[in-house]
Amino acid sequence: MKEQVINFQLNDEPVNVYSDPSLSLLKLLRNRFNLLGTKEGCGRGDCGVCTVLLDGRAVNSCLIPAGKVQGRNVCTIEGISSKSTAKAARFHPIQQAFVEKGAVQCGFCTPGMIMSAFALLQENPSPSKEEVREAISGNLCRCSGYKQIEEAVLEAAKVMICQKEHPGFK
Amino acid sequence: MSYTIASNLKQAIKILKESDGKAQVIAGATDLFLENLPSELVDVSAVPEILGITRGKDFLSIGAGVTHAEAAASSVIRSEAEALSEACRIVGSPQVRNMGTLGGNVINAAPAADAAVALVALGAKAVLTDLYGSSREAFVVDLYGGYNRSSVDSSAEILMRFLLKPAQRGEGSAFLRFAPRAALALPLVNAAARIRVEQSLIKEARIVIAPAKPAPTRLLETEKLLLGAKPGLDLWQKVKSTASSEIEVRGSMLRCSEEYRCHLVGVLARRVSQQAVVRAMEAE
Amino acid sequence: MPIDKEKGFDAKNNSSGATVNQGPDVWAKAAGRALYGIDLQLPGMLYGKILRSPHPHARIKAIDTAEADALPGVRAVLTASDIKKKRYGIVVQDELPLAYDRVRYIGDEVAAVAAVDEKSASRALEALNVEYEPLSAVFEPKAALAQGAVQIHDQFPGNIAWQRELERGNPDRAFKEADLVVENSFSIPSVHPTYLEPIACVASSDYPGNLTIHTALQSPDIVRDIIAGALELPFSKVRIVGPVMGGGFGGRVYGNLKLYLLSSLLSQFTGLPVKMQLSREEEFCIGRPMIAAELKIKMALRSDGTFLARESEIVTDNGAYSAQAPWVSKTLSERNDSVYRIPNIRTRACLVYTNKVPTAQYRAYGNQAANFACESLIDQAAEKLGLDPLQIRLNNCTQAGDTTVHGLKIKSCALKDCLKEAAAKIGWSNRNKNCGYGISAGIHASGSLVANKDFRGASARAVLELDGRVTLFSGEQDYGQGTYGAFTNIAAGVLELDPDLFSLNCRDSLITPYSQGALANRQTTIGGRAVQLAAADLKKLIEEAASEMAGEPVRMEKGRLKSNDGSIMELAAVAVYYHNRTSGLTLTGEGSYVPPPVEYDETSYGNISVTYSFAAHAAEVEVDRETGAFTIKRIASVHDSGRIINPLAARGQVYGGVAQGVGFSCYEGYLFDRGRVVSKTLADYRIPTALDVPHIACCFIETTDPEGPLGVKGLGEVVQVPVPGALANAVADAAGVRVTELPITAEKIYRAISKGECAR
Ligand SMILES: Cc1cc2nc3c(=O)[nH]c(=O)nc-3n(C[C@H](O)[C@H](O)[C@H](O)COP(=O)(O)OP(=O)(O)OC[C@H]3O[C@@H](n4cnc5c(N)ncnc54)[C@H](O)[C@@H]3O)c2cc1C
Repeated sequence: MKEQVINFQLNDEPVNVYSDPSLSLLKLLRNRFNLLGTKEGCGRGDCGVCTVLLDGRAVNSCLIPAGKVQGRNVCTIEGISSKSTAKAARFHPIQQAFVEKGAVQCGFCTPGMIMSAFALLQENPSPSKEEVREAISGNLCRCSGYKQIEEAVLEAAKVMICQKEHPGFK
Repeated sequence: MSYTIASNLKQAIKILKESDGKAQVIAGATDLFLENLPSELVDVSAVPEILGITRGKDFLSIGAGVTHAEAAASSVIRSEAEALSEACRIVGSPQVRNMGTLGGNVINAAPAADAAVALVALGAKAVLTDLYGSSREAFVVDLYGGYNRSSVDSSAEILMRFLLKPAQRGEGSAFLRFAPRAALALPLVNAAARIRVEQSLIKEARIVIAPAKPAPTRLLETEKLLLGAKPGLDLWQKVKSTASSEIEVRGSMLRCSEEYRCHLVGVLARRVSQQAVVRAMEAE
Repeated sequence: MPIDKEKGFDAKNNSSGATVNQGPDVWAKAAGRALYGIDLQLPGMLYGKILRSPHPHARIKAIDTAEADALPGVRAVLTASDIKKKRYGIVVQDELPLAYDRVRYIGDEVAAVAAVDEKSASRALEALNVEYEPLSAVFEPKAALAQGAVQIHDQFPGNIAWQRELERGNPDRAFKEADLVVENSFSIPSVHPTYLEPIACVASSDYPGNLTIHTALQSPDIVRDIIAGALELPFSKVRIVGPVMGGGFGGRVYGNLKLYLLSSLLSQFTGLPVKMQLSREEEFCIGRPMIAAELKIKMALRSDGTFLARESEIVTDNGAYSAQAPWVSKTLSERNDSVYRIPNIRTRACLVYTNKVPTAQYRAYGNQAANFACESLIDQAAEKLGLDPLQIRLNNCTQAGDTTVHGLKIKSCALKDCLKEAAAKIGWSNRNKNCGYGISAGIHASGSLVANKDFRGASARAVLELDGRVTLFSGEQDYGQGTYGAFTNIAAGVLELDPDLFSLNCRDSLITPYSQGALANRQTTIGGRAVQLAAADLKKLIEEAASEMAGEPVRMEKGRLKSNDGSIMELAAVAVYYHNRTSGLTLTGEGSYVPPPVEYDETSYGNISVTYSFAAHAAEVEVDRETGAFTIKRIASVHDSGRIINPLAARGQVYGGVAQGVGFSCYEGYLFDRGRVVSKTLADYRIPTALDVPHIACCFIETTDPEGPLGVKGLGEVVQVPVPGALANAVADAAGVRVTELPITAEKIYRAISKGECAR
């Protein structure tokens, strides 16, 4: 398709890009914004490693035409850290818990997995084990058997609730 | 040569009209994006006229742009059209459910599209609008035009809404699928049923199975068997054998053999009917 | 809760124990800042693509490149006539970078192009015209072995890539004297490691002819050898630099040699860096799955359940080219014999060429495939003899002090306890009537020495930096399994320093010691030992330099340098002292661990590994008899992997390995249609999702192995080995019938049940 201007919020910043609107959001993020944290594993929605948030919901960025994000809010793994505080380069409790609970092995599924977990915890701050599994069921992981990922999301949920209740809590 | 997000129906129609058949409707993109894209796309996923779920006095109206996630989360759909709720809950993955729409599911016309199977069992009608503003109604099953082909031309018509009868007294519906994996899997067989009972006798029954034919397929013989019958072991045995013998299915290397699929059709038809009957009795 | 919100992205700030345990990349990975092969870009880089054969077997009559060459943006078009006809291979030399006159499977590489962007490269492929003369093809090993079958490689008559006949003891007599003989046939399809990152590389050749390949490999130095050989480059001119690896599981021991060779050749031709990347479909269709196998096995027992003999006929399907398939076939046909005491063995194994996707290796190296067959048969025997499946295994299992039938010397072994614990964890003595239970055991070499008899060990360097920190250099690779964390901990333990003071360099062959890499469970056992020795050497050197500097004896204790009078010296001061005194040298400890020589005879009888890990798994499943659908409810996974130095990472290995075992047993498997891969997407080649992996109870029974460093033994591979046997036996227990073909699916169970009912 012919290129057109696409304006959207990317990790809480307004951006505009001149692009073929039929390019995938994944390619747009990687090739045009150099946001390499969002990975590509299949290009067909079968693996979930390209998961980002579109208006707060987990989606496969490989299946989103760039034209679709016009006027919308996209959040990638790079936008997660700064979500917790205004300062850049800080880790979100989910990232922290992933590291501490051993949920990161090869790490290729990790960004997408964290985005799915993030979407879940926004909607359901204290999920059950089953709800965690359901929420990450579109994200394949070949290393972990999902157990420590499940543990990490549950741990992050606890921390996030704690932080909400005690804003000064570290 | 463009991608436009239509903000209302009028705009969507205008673009389709001006493109001379070159533009096509796109909603969640989860099917269309994997195909060769046309040169012009009209994104209808934000068109308010095709969104929302409303419960009228004697109808339930579900926008074609409603996503599987929205449908699965809707308490109205759960109470009035439980089969649809169950079908939408199981589609693909959370990511796919967040984007994929009911309208896209029907128009993409995959033989075993989950929401479509439930909609057919529920007897849903589709409301479509053409480029000149006139609208028509059609049963969902009639929107199928062949294997993976819709009879709706998405460059000339917009699927607006689905209309369903809400669950009546003594009515229950259910959806079941048999898949090789718990998520991200296409079913070997899926089945949906809508059944009404009166004083423990089955008064109405619609049983739908897929994939068998291009469209989700009603099991008419099985339905006949159910009508007027009193649920019991004997009946269920007969439902199973009638269902597996009344339609032909195909086998495929990636899914399962013809013989096994045929067996599953019988089992699922029975189980989904039983489930619907249990719910119907509870609603009596 | 200890949350350090000030944590930055650089190594400086990661003071958490988690970082040390899980390696230096872990924060970058969680942040989305870790760079993998697919993320790499070099200035001026071109994109390479490959034209593949649409035929399973054909003669190439002509290739017309003129049109492609003339396209804008196209910088190179290579066919076999542009390059030397030099065969390469891992075990047998049967591959060329590009097909010369014949293609042997659908996907065989015919031409390679490099262009300024992916689109132009794709256009160039479309513009290539190849004239083929289709030949008759053969897809099944049995057909390929038949008289008069079409010959796939002229130099391998009868389509036999490798074969072996092996006899230990006197199987004929044992079978004659047996009270019971059981037999059955089993089949296992090809499976793909399915690392989530498709293989990608950037090759860059400069004018003096130095070649640098950026790609993540489990065994970069071995690949370096092969590439240098195939391209006829001096070894020292080939350098491999590893980005972060998106999963390996054996599939990246050698990765995709074709891709590395072709990108290198394109880079040599153009003088520019060339990036190549497999699509997911290419991963399945031409990426290298593990061999498929057919096993016919027979077992002789005494009436009390004592194992007397086993006889196996094994045919493995090599596909069109033979990477590590001979070695995998060998492990598959042999390793399981050492789980139990089986004094008499006869094995005939044959690896056969077919016109299908070439094969390679996968985590557990075929050992898990044999486990499915052998453990199924043991349960058949137990049933016939009226013995409890647990008891028959306890009675026969290998124990410490044993020399097994193939000569493996078992110095530490808690297999018996593993079996008991797995049974206890699953509730063996209190089994639920509505479920089925299965148990299975496995052994795996930990630190196998057979890949290169002469180069058995590993070496490492530990450098005291001028700032008092320590940098380790090792050629071993970590892709999330915790190796780097283990190395840091081992070295920190020796020097008694804070693990945060250590940095690790592993991924650049220019600066790291030559290594065999991440294979055969050798990393922690052998690589770790080298790190331990290097750290000890460094400690000695530090003490020497400090003593010289102080003019009196100085000792390093609890990480501090102390002289006799108790005064303390800074490490950095000693480092600078030495640096100045030598005009630039640094204190460098070297460690080389050379395992005792392996002795095995021409039948490969002998102790082939430093040590051996053991595992026992028990499974509980529920079967819906009407449809054959089954639910795996729980798996207990109990391990003797020696000492567990990092429980978090060890648990991760177990959960992940069992999940892969579940995939292998119940979900995965290649499907072909006349040589064409049909299961070519992640939707159709189904690995388990979060909703498919059952509850896993994981337990370690620690032994102290005299050979492993700190008593450590391998874990990553053995964990997958017993899964298929445990699941197959549990399903058979629940369904009353046995499925002998992997993957075990609802349809196969249903068919077996229906057949059983018909027979009755
Ligand atoms: C990984 C993955 C897993 C999946 N799993 C499942 C599954 O388990 N079960 C299942 O049923 N499906 C599944 N799907 C298919 C798909 O998600 C659904 O069919 C979805 O509902 C399609 O909706 P959409 O809005 O994305 O359609 P789109 O891709 O936007 O459109 C599909 C077609 O419908 C037309 N169209 C859409 N809306 C309208 C409208 N309002 N008026 C006229 N024409 C319209 C488009 O022109 C196009 O031809 C899966 C897809 C993926 C990628």
